[in-house]
Amino acid sequence: MRFSFVFSEMGIAIRRNLSMVISVILVTFISLTFVGTAGLLQQQIGSMKTYWYDKAQVAIYLCTETSPAEVCPQGEASQDVQDTVTERLKSATLAEYIDKYYFENHQQAYETFQEEFKDNSVAKYVKPEQLNETFWVNLKDPNQAPIIIESFNGLSGVEEVKDQRTYLDQIFSILNIASLAALSIAALMLFSAVLLISTTIRLSAVMRRREIGIMRLVGASNFYIQLPFILEGVVAGVIGSLLAGGAILGIVQVFVQGFLATQLPFTSFVGIPDALALLPLLVATGGGLAAIAAASAIRRYLRV
Amino acid sequence: MISISSVSKQYKGAPRAALENVSLEIDKGEFVFLVGASGSGKSSLMRMILREDLPTSGSIHVLGENLIGIPNRRVPHFRRKLGVVFQDFRLLPNKTAAQNVAFSLEVIGKSRGFIAEAVPDVLRLVGLEEKANNLPSELSGGEQQRIALARAIVNKPAILLADEPTGNLDPATSIDIMSLLERINLSGTTIVMATHDRGIVDRGQKRVIELSQGKIVRDARGASYGVGE
Repeated sequence: MRFSFVFSEMGIAIRRNLSMVISVILVTFISLTFVGTAGLLQQQIGSMKTYWYDKAQVAIYLCTETSPAEVCPQGEASQDVQDTVTERLKSATLAEYIDKYYFENHQQAYETFQEEFKDNSVAKYVKPEQLNETFWVNLKDPNQAPIIIESFNGLSGVEEVKDQRTYLDQIFSILNIASLAALSIAALMLFSAVLLISTTIRLSAVMRRREIGIMRLVGASNFYIQLPFILEGVVAGVIGSLLAGGAILGIVQVFVQGFLATQLPFTSFVGIPDALALLPLLVATGGGLAAIAAASAIRRYLRV
Repeated sequence: MISISSVSKQYKGAPRAALENVSLEIDKGEFVFLVGASGSGKSSLMRMILREDLPTSGSIHVLGENLIGIPNRRVPHFRRKLGVVFQDFRLLPNKTAAQNVAFSLEVIGKSRGFIAEAVPDVLRLVGLEEKANNLPSELSGGEQQRIALARAIVNKPAILLADEPTGNLDPATSIDIMSLLERINLSGTTIVMATHDRGIVDRGQKRVIELSQGKIVRDARGASYGVGE
């Protein structure tokens, strides 16, 4: 096996077939950029989930004077209600699920509200007694929220028990749809990349049919005949995937870290390390698909 | 060396068999002319000896290999023991004479050192060492066929198959090629040459196998082209 010879044959093949090779590089580049984007979105969802789910709590809202009468016939929740809730939260059955909890009275709720909505005119009209007194409960495992919800739902003096993750799930489902869309586009583009690679390799083989004929005649092994063509596909695929990796790094650096992260400072975003972690995956996908497409194309061509 | 027994070949859609119950033996060191009209089955026979095609029935043994049973992956190694030349030379137009010869060694994985020695040797043997760096387009037909011959024998094959090697050459050049083939034969290489050239066959006085409509109609030693045509 003489690798220098195989590589020089591959170089000749690429030079003769340059425009097709460039189109393979571009299609692989674009499709893998979509794959990488989908991967980044998934990582973003993952990191936001761990960040927010840890912070997300189950809120036990107690009745206020302004609560709807059908859930709170007695009006404002009494001290008894607070005691009952505290007692249940401390009871042996629930305590094992709870990491910590704290009580927020009208005044504290008002201050938090003023802080969160300080630029909003609604802040001027809200009075402390309109805001629910709330037990904020942090669970050891956020997935066990239904246990808390069931224990307190319908308890007299409790207006509502709400798992805050239901708000987050909407955001995540939007992000999930976006990453699914990116993946579907990527799948379509990768499919066309595979077709393009096999056409390119077959074209390359037709251009070099004289060489192939002589190689077969003098007894070159099939592997030796096929290798330059497979490498031609792999080189194009790998160049395309490296470009896609560069694009992903660029998106993370310029758009995510340079723009989004400065606009939304309290959110954790994917960074360069996440993008770098995707790079081997992209190269393996690009190179691997190209190798398979090129190998099957050249094998089918040589069989006839 | 070459043992063919009861070989028939029927191509799909062809009205009659390309080969019909052909049997022959060719021994080591023989020089055999394969003659017959176009379509008589000469090329089919050559293709089968090269294992480019399989017979519909019958058996073929070449250099100890049973060509019917040989697995596909062993075919390349089998072909390395054979050399082939054609009427149309089949040189690579963008490679020099020396590169054309070297190519056939490179693709079977021979070392650089081996190639550096073997190529000038074989070019000297065919008398073209001073044209080593010329492209095929700069060579005459006879010179191109010598390069093709050099390529066919550089790996020291036991058998050389020549399919109308003088078909594109003028008579004087043909004689040069024939004397080269005879020298190659004298060094021990078995030669099977398909030809239409009556003059060459008559001058050679070697074993002549004549095919007609896929059947062997004559197999004679020290013979001439034939009386039939």
